[in-house]
Amino acid sequence: MATTSPVPEDTSIAERSTADLLVLVSAMPSEQLARALTNLEAAFASESVIVATPNELTGEPRRLRMISTQQSSSGWALAPTDFVNAAQYGREHEARAILLLGPGADSLSPVALRGLADAVLKASIDLAIPHYSLPPHAGLINSAILYPLTRAVFASRARFPLAIDLGLSLRMAEQLANVAQSISAANQVEALIWPINEAVAAGFTIDEVDVGTRTMPQPSDPDINSILSLITGSLFGDIEAKAALWQRPRRPSPARRMANDVPGDDGTADVARMVSAFQLAYANLQEIWSLVLPPNSLLLLKRCSVLDAASFRMPDNLWVRVIYDFVIAYRLRTINRGHLLGALIPLYLAWVAGHINVTASGIPAERHIEAVAAAFEADKPYLVARWRWPDRFNS
Amino acid sequence: MLHRIDSALQQADVNTPAPPGSFDNASIWQHMSAALHQSLDRVLTQLIAVLPGLLAFFVALAIFSLAGALLSWLSRQLLGWVKFDSRVTHTIKSDWAPSSSPSEIISRVLFWGCVLLGLIIGVSAFDTSYATGAALPISLLPYLTHAVGAVLLLIAGILIARFLARSVLISAINAQLQYARILSLGVKWLVLVLTAAMVLDHLQVGGNVVELAFGILFGGIVLTLALAVGLGSRDLVSRSLESRVEHAGERTNIPDDATTASRTIRHF
Repeated sequence: MATTSPVPEDTSIAERSTADLLVLVSAMPSEQLARALTNLEAAFASESVIVATPNELTGEPRRLRMISTQQSSSGWALAPTDFVNAAQYGREHEARAILLLGPGADSLSPVALRGLADAVLKASIDLAIPHYSLPPHAGLINSAILYPLTRAVFASRARFPLAIDLGLSLRMAEQLANVAQSISAANQVEALIWPINEAVAAGFTIDEVDVGTRTMPQPSDPDINSILSLITGSLFGDIEAKAALWQRPRRPSPARRMANDVPGDDGTADVARMVSAFQLAYANLQEIWSLVLPPNSLLLLKRCSVLDAASFRMPDNLWVRVIYDFVIAYRLRTINRGHLLGALIPLYLAWVAGHINVTASGIPAERHIEAVAAAFEADKPYLVARWRWPDRFNS
Repeated sequence: MLHRIDSALQQADVNTPAPPGSFDNASIWQHMSAALHQSLDRVLTQLIAVLPGLLAFFVALAIFSLAGALLSWLSRQLLGWVKFDSRVTHTIKSDWAPSSSPSEIISRVLFWGCVLLGLIIGVSAFDTSYATGAALPISLLPYLTHAVGAVLLLIAGILIARFLARSVLISAINAQLQYARILSLGVKWLVLVLTAAMVLDHLQVGGNVVELAFGILFGGIVLTLALAVGLGSRDLVSRSLESRVEHAGERTNIPDDATTASRTIRHF
């Protein structure tokens, strides 16, 4: 496992040299770090690159200049301290671009690393977001909630709003570091999905870079209950914080090309379990759902609850309304927020079951996800209307 | 008024023709009228003594309620002006998320605090004026403070019961327990029964009977829940134990990256 070295108070004078690119690598096992460094060397043969890592600086000498940095608090996603460190080291070394690489970054190819850096160095993009190629049934919270909701609300086309690798310009890093400092000061440990939304809000140029496949690090607690609550809670909180921004009409960013599906297992074995979980919840959580959802949505859920696992589908417009109504309830604190996000889990499982059935019927997963995202965009006026006049159920 | 009643009684005494040889009857009438007179006098005196206290109670309550409403309105305006809610939301993050905004909670606390203060001052004024009036033994006055405490206990108990019932229900549903509703209801009634016992104890009603009844009822609910869960999940527990034993035996043979059907889906 990775070990951390004591945090240096200040980098030495010798280390204060300029570099084209600064790469901040998260803590990872030494063999993974070695692979990541090899990929970096292959990707940036001619540029001067400084790599900052919390790992112990031992091993064979490399062409890359290495410096020690502080280990971030988060084990599976970029933490606010990563952005603060990025801005600090970027300033010190006058870096033209900064790469933030999350845990498991050794699985990123040299081409992917080069693409992220080039977006900033050559295309003058402020924030380069990776577009990962995941198997059809991976990253489902992202596909069901994060991507479509972020796209509709913030008019951002980032397919992975919770990106764990980023390419930043120095001014972007400075902006994100300022926000990260306030997040750290407020001890908002659950703040995860804010960097891309912050960049959109501040008007920086953003682009998405295809990086191919990547091993996604998993949270320490892989339980769906805690992951969903953590991630969706973070996004709902960010939507609440930036309400003044997203209610203004914004031009959506250009439609991105649809990525090819990565072949994977069909996962149909889990559909019956997820549908039965939804049916159990429908029989018992009516009292709570009726506080959040309008009668029309409850009626549609009732129709879904009588479907069998093989033919189970959740209509896109129903899913959109469910998420929007939960966002409104989160803002209004209709019920305790922990309860609210807990009550969303069976509905999310129902969407996943429907999504797996849709993809099993031959429709590519990515096409279904794009259709869901388009439905979110089309129904955004409902969210804005209910946000402004929450007492009225526009069912 | 007393004078009029007195004269009316005397008039009745004078106008009533005394039957011949009824000296004892006249004496009885005199005694009765005297007793009635004294009793009426005493009750009216006590009522007159209590009235200013009652008036003071209502005036204090009204004044402090108005002051509370004013303070509440002022605080809401002030906190809205300094964007208190967004500051607090950004500063304090916890799992406990009340259904009202922080500024709303503060304004409500101010209002109800003032009402409570008015209530205490009113009761105190009532107590003072009453004590100076007459020494009528009245047991309702100390009971009033107990009643306020009991009402607060009851409200807190109901809120906690509802919160815990929802927590248990959602957690049990997400754990796919078929008896989630029974579990939730059991927790809710446990807390409600506990609250009811505390309230009655606070009001000093029932004495040992309440304690005994509470013990029996509480124990009964716990036993019922234990039996329901134990019997309902007997197979589940045995399967879980069996699989644990099997996994312990097979752990050396199974590679760490063995894939199962459930692993084909990754939520994150």
